[in-house]
Amino acid sequence: MRPRQLAKTIGFALVFSLVLGRGAALAHITPPVILISDRDAVLSMTNGAKKFFVREVRLSPEERETLRKQLGWQADEEFYRFYLGRDEQGKVVAAVAFMTEFTIHGPVRVAVGLGPDGKVKDAKVVEMTEETYPWLKPLLDQDFTRNYVGQDSHGNFTMAAGHDGGQENMTLFYGQIVASLIQRAAGLFEIAVLKRGDI
Amino acid sequence: MKGIYLSHLPLSAKVFCTLFLLGIGLGSLAAFLQASTAVGLSYEDVKSSLAPEMPMMPMEHGQMSMEKEIDLGQISHTAKVWIRTPLLIQTSHTHLFGQTLIAGLLGLIFLFSSLGEWKKSIILALPFVGTLIDIGGMWLTRFIWQPFAVLVLIGGSTFALGYVLITAISLYELWLKRGARV
Repeated sequence: MRPRQLAKTIGFALVFSLVLGRGAALAHITPPVILISDRDAVLSMTNGAKKFFVREVRLSPEERETLRKQLGWQADEEFYRFYLGRDEQGKVVAAVAFMTEFTIHGPVRVAVGLGPDGKVKDAKVVEMTEETYPWLKPLLDQDFTRNYVGQDSHGNFTMAAGHDGGQENMTLFYGQIVASLIQRAAGLFEIAVLKRGDI
Repeated sequence: MKGIYLSHLPLSAKVFCTLFLLGIGLGSLAAFLQASTAVGLSYEDVKSSLAPEMPMMPMEHGQMSMEKEIDLGQISHTAKVWIRTPLLIQTSHTHLFGQTLIAGLLGLIFLFSSLGEWKKSIILALPFVGTLIDIGGMWLTRFIWQPFAVLVLIGGSTFALGYVLITAISLYELWLKRGARV
């Protein structure tokens, strides 16, 4: 290749790759399926709230240990966040926590609405990957998270309590993950808010 | 290389090289579209996807909780791919293998180019170097300093630059170079 031809080729390649290359860098992330935005989840789970607050909590080593023993969950995030809806008198109407599990097929993220007594008021799957979606869809169509409403973290969060049978293995596997995330949110609220008497 | 050049390859080898290069190009185009829809292509998109989640309030050392009133508008209403550490590990493992294999096969074809050894060495190194900068930039952004997100863009561009140069030069030598045998 002659020097002039090579220079032309490099010029073309530079322009082309500056456009194309920006995408190549991040193209390996499996696209997420977002079923509901964070804002809409908070809004729908805090009916009756007039004011909204964000509370961020850190767990002490003892609290982490309690969660590990109680739920078999290693709560190792630096901090956890709750969105609180309060009425005009400032009383908590509901708290919402977003919980995530990182599976081999990507993250599954759930919004959990909790009453001031620590019981589940509502739960919605907010995010999963395109790969996980077909497995979870049969359960989402049944609105299976409703089966956990009214339970606190000591309730029955097994899939046996949350589906009508006849599901394939991966559906049950991911259903159990969602159920566990709901239980974790309830446990976290109990340990980091209710037991501290800080509501 | 040892007297074997792209321009002198038999027809079957030329067809093989051409289709492989075109296939990788179409794959890159699909990757570009996926990234633009799943993550976004700007520096800010990359940074916000990779950076660790930060508290909304500055908690002091020893402080166990903090609360403040917010407006609902402060809660995200858009979909965002947030690449957390487990996903980063998964991505690094699969794509260091995958992209390195692609870079290796591109380099293998390019070894038979008639370019000088220095030019050839530099160009075939680009996809390898781009991959390392790309994945390395993700880890640096997450754990060291958020502005390292620019490395992810530089890495992707370096990979693409290497691919485009290798493909353009190889196709030229395969089919158009004077003396190319068909």
